[in-house]
This record gives sequence, structure tokens and C-alpha cells, in this order.
Amino acid sequence: MDLKWLTEMNAPSGHEQALRRALMEELKGYAGVETSIDRMGNVVAVKKGHGPEPRKRVMVAAHMDEVGLIVTSCTEDGFLRVAPIGGVDPRVIISKRVTVGDDRLPGIIGAMAIHLQSPEDRQRVLGYNDIYVDIGAKDKKEAESKAPKGTYICFDTDYVSFGDGYVSAKALDDRVGIFNLLRLLQDDYACDVICVFDSQEETGCRGAKGAAFAQAPDMGIVLEGTTCNDLGDVPETLQVCNTGRGVCVSFMDGSSIVNRALFRHTIDVAEKNGLSYHIKRSVSGGNDAGAIQRARAAVPTVVLSVPCRYIHSPSSVVKYSDVDSQLALTKALLKTL
Amino acid sequence: MDIQKVLSEAAGILGPSGQEMQIAAYFAEKFRPFVDEVTVNDMHCVIAHKKGAGPKVMLCAHMDEISLMVIAIEDDGCLRLGNVGGVDPRILPASRVWVHGKEKLFGTIGALPPHLLTPEDRKKNYDRKDLYVDVGLPADKVRELVHVGDLVTFNTPFTELLNGQVASKTMDDRACVTMLLLAAERLTKMHCDADVYFVGSTQEEVGSRGAETAAFAIDPDLAVALDVDHATIPGSRPDTTVDGDSLCATIGPYIQPKPLQRLLDCAKEHHVKLQTAVSPRYTATDADEVGVSRAGIPTVLLSLPLKYMHTSVETIDLQALTEGGRLIAHFLSELDEGWEEDLWI
Repeated sequence: MDLKWLTEMNAPSGHEQALRRALMEELKGYAGVETSIDRMGNVVAVKKGHGPEPRKRVMVAAHMDEVGLIVTSCTEDGFLRVAPIGGVDPRVIISKRVTVGDDRLPGIIGAMAIHLQSPEDRQRVLGYNDIYVDIGAKDKKEAESKAPKGTYICFDTDYVSFGDGYVSAKALDDRVGIFNLLRLLQDDYACDVICVFDSQEETGCRGAKGAAFAQAPDMGIVLEGTTCNDLGDVPETLQVCNTGRGVCVSFMDGSSIVNRALFRHTIDVAEKNGLSYHIKRSVSGGNDAGAIQRARAAVPTVVLSVPCRYIHSPSSVVKYSDVDSQLALTKALLKTL
Repeated sequence: MDIQKVLSEAAGILGPSGQEMQIAAYFAEKFRPFVDEVTVNDMHCVIAHKKGAGPKVMLCAHMDEISLMVIAIEDDGCLRLGNVGGVDPRILPASRVWVHGKEKLFGTIGALPPHLLTPEDRKKNYDRKDLYVDVGLPADKVRELVHVGDLVTFNTPFTELLNGQVASKTMDDRACVTMLLLAAERLTKMHCDADVYFVGSTQEEVGSRGAETAAFAIDPDLAVALDVDHATIPGSRPDTTVDGDSLCATIGPYIQPKPLQRLLDCAKEHHVKLQTAVSPRYTATDADEVGVSRAGIPTVLLSLPLKYMHTSVETIDLQALTEGGRLIAHFLSELDEGWEEDLWI
């Protein structure tokens, strides 16, 4: 199960079934791993440690779900009206391809031709009131039969390797984390490792919240893809993090402040092992750490992210070596616990 | 002829205005089996001649495409973009492109992410100057492979929708060049007296310079321009668009009424659905320049409706395209020496 396969899988928030099934199947082949699906639809894979009791129980989480769209109604002339699932800036989906529903019916998102726009139109941002998915249906009846209200829509973007070790794909946030959960489960640790392939992160970190309560771990590690703005001649202060500099460690973001001792320990582990890493230079955004750290009587949690350009767009970009770097630091950290 | 194959192959071939060499070579080969002689002129126009003793007719559809051009390389290796033709900047963010440098490089168009924008900026569309192409290479390598002036084209796969609708880049106007191919193919099995020139024209997007000069060279008695017209989509204003599922003939001062009537009659006789649209002044197609070539050339305009013009998902109806090929073949086949009688009376 490689990163290409994972990103080309469709799993919008609340509709992660296809990926969930595939992960359950994949994990059957993993030695010493006990796998189950919990009440929130998270896939939970537990690998007991070889250390003496009492062992630390560490929850390592990455989210299965991706941003997308959902059909809200069909127009008389057969176009689909849609709403975003998770944060999708309507400005990045114009003139893009999508697939509609589990049968992946092809669709496109068009826009009024530039010739027909007034100067004011050109300034105006097209919102979800102006955006339609076109599947070529001839009328409302056909549209409703092919894509009834509630049908999920995903970006139709294949995985491309390009440039100097870069990857362009959809859903890199957070299939990079899912990919690394699968890879780290192939190693052994002294502590108990509870890998949670969680659901609904993009719509409010709902899967991780339930899983953290149910698993009651001693510690949390969140594997994410995070926004990176290191191109376009932007000042250092606005870049957030950088591709090619290894995994990005957060000290704080919009939803959590990393336990200071755990943050220092993480940095120490990276330094001692000579692993590349850098510190996230922005405190915006949020992720599963916000849910996990507040589970029960609190869980110290650290966030390790792969810098991701054009996140939440149909065509996001990561550097593959940063994906490997996230795995290396996560494993090194687990080995110390 | 496999229409979808031609459309998708053509969409993958570089041909921005003024640099149509590759797409001209492609269409020249496609016309060759159906006509007596094919040439490519100095403006890169493909001229496919089917010889006849009757009236000399020129039919043209343009091969050039809107595209982008590298106008600067920043210190971090990203590329800034300029326009070749009217690319709508709203379609650019997160689009995938090909950068035609020393090597063909894959790229993605990036922009400042929303959470780093001020609330006012979030209410605005991205401007071309705020966007850039990410080719995933360090600046020194980029400078080695890419130069200012290199072309950037969309990299969007061909998409089949329901009911014979297809979406792709450059349907404007290679779908109409394909319609000419269909007509040429049909004519090989029909009686035709007319002396027919099928022209794949160039530089339409910057002012129909290819069609203008081809019309001078060919000096036809009569001309038919083929281009795309805006099909109705949600939110389009009345009278600015046409129905998406059938061909359209234009009425207006730039269109000669007698051959237009011939075209309308021909459609009726052969049961080809043909709607009409009004252009009160210019048509913004090759018809405008061809009509005033030399001492004036009676010209009509036949349009294929298209949704989302000048985006990378231009959408057309294959049935309408096929019907267009049939209509043109009949129109040419039925042209006789008498067509010119009472032209202006």
C-alpha cells in the first residue's frame, strides 16, 4: 500500500468506508497487530510492546479523511449544487475535475467564461452559491438519479512525482500520516503502540476525540500534513514551514499547546539521532492534537507534520524525503518510550 | 474517424497563438487522406485543398490555444506568469501545467493560502501576479531549464461526462477543426463541385491574423468560419448564450444574409438542428477578418456551443459536433454556380 495508492483512494470526512475497508484488509497481514473498528469509525491497530510491565501506552494518530464536496441539490437543468466538506477555498476548485459518488462519475467545476464577466464579476470571488458541478446530466431527473442529495464528491487528481523528489496529489493531508502509521507498525517497540487511523478530522476532529477517550493513552503523537508556504517569494515569517527541511515539529497551534517536556524530548531525540526536523513558525490551524490532549484527564501530545504546499486544494505538494523524515522521528521517539 | 481520439490527441499538442507548428503538423496529417493537397503556410495555417470546378469556398477554424508564458523566475525558483490570449486568472490556483522549457516540466500553480491572507484579501480573487508555478526544483536548476518567454500550458486530462458531453482544454477551437475533418471525410463519399479549402487557422485569439492572411492567399468566393459560442450555464444572462446541444448560426451585419439563408435551408432539409444567435456588431471570430479580406468575401459563421470557454474544462456535445460535420458536407455538396445570384438585392 504505497502513498500513490493511498492518495488516489477516496475518503471524504464522514464517508471513509472505502479506505477503512482497505486498511482493515491490509492490516491483516501485519504480525502482532490487533485491529478493530471503534464507535467513531476509526481503525485502531494495537501493537503490544516488548518492554516490561507497566508499559507506556502511546496513541499515534493520523486521519483517514480528506476534504471534498457534497451534493446539496440538483438544478432544473441538471447541474449539481454543492457544499464543502472541510475547508475548501472555492477559489482553488474552479476549472478542476472531480469524481462524484462511489462509482466515480466524472464531473467538472466550470465557471462563467471570462468574456461574459463584467469588470465587477472578475473581482468577485465565486462562493458555493455560484459554483456547480457539471456531470453532463440533461435535466434534474437524470442528475438526481446519478447524484442524489448527499452524494460525496472528491477531487480527481492522479499522483505525480516531479521535480527534485516532490509529489503532487490530492489528499496528501493526511495520507502521508496514514502511510507512516502503516510503516511504523512494521517495527517493534518497548511501549504499546496504538495506531489510530481516525475519521472526520477535517470536520472537527471527531474521530480522534472518541478514540482518545476509548484508548485512554499515556501520550499522543499526531502525524499530520501541515500548510507550507515556502514558495512564491514570500517573507520567511509567512512561510510557516519549509519543504526539504524534514519533519515539522509544532510547539503550539490553534487547538493545542504541546506539553513542553514532550516538545523538548522530541527535539532531543531528533538531535541525538541526527534526524532532520524544523520547528513550525506559525500557530494557526488545528488538528487531532486538540482533541487528544483534552481526552479524559489530559494526554500530553506532540504534533509531527509533513510540510504540504497548496493543502486542501485539488493538487497539493509534498517532498517525499519529508514523509520519510516524519517516519524516522516518530520511530525514534517511540523507541525512547 | 474516432472523434474523441482526435480531440484528446489534439488537446495534448502545444499550439499557443503564434507557435502553432506542432498542432499544424498534426492536423495537416489528419486532413491529408480526405483532400487533394495539404500545405502549411508561413503563419502556420493548415490549408487542405479539395479541388473542384465550382465556387471556391474557404472554411476555417482556429488551431491556436490560449496559454501562459513565463515572465519571471523568482529567487526561490518559482515562475511568474503572463498571458498569451485571455486566460481567466480565476481558474489558475491549484491547476496543473506543463512548462515548456528545455525539458517539459510538470508544475502546479500555487498561491498564498487563505489563512495567511487578510480578511479583505480573502474576498478578492487571486491576481495573476500573486500566483506562481511550482516545478519542485531549486532555483539554479530552474534557471538552467527554463527561460523567460517559455510557454506554460494546462495539463488537464480529457474527461467524458454523461450524454456524449466531453470536457477538455482547447475545445475552443480544435473541436471545430475536428468538425471540418468530419466534413472532409464525408465529402469523399459525396458529389461536390465546389473548390474547397479547409483551413486550420492561427492567431485567432490575438485577432484572427492567420485567417486574414489565408483568406487573401486563397481568394475565395465565399467563406464559412467555425468557432465556439457560449452555451447556457447556471447564472448566465439571457441573450449572451445559446443552447448547449445544437449548432448555431449567427445573424448580424458581419454575416452575409444569402449564404446564411442557404445554410439555414440546408439544415432544415437535412434535419440538422440549427439555432440562431444575434451579433449586433463584430463576432470576435475569424469571420470578422475574413469578411473584409481583399475586396470583401461573403462570410457566414457556424458555431458549436461550449460551456466554460477559456478554462481547462471547456465542455462540448459530441452529437452537435458530428451534426456540424454532416451539415457542412451537405452545404458544400449543394453549392452550385448559382449561389451568387442576387447576393445583395
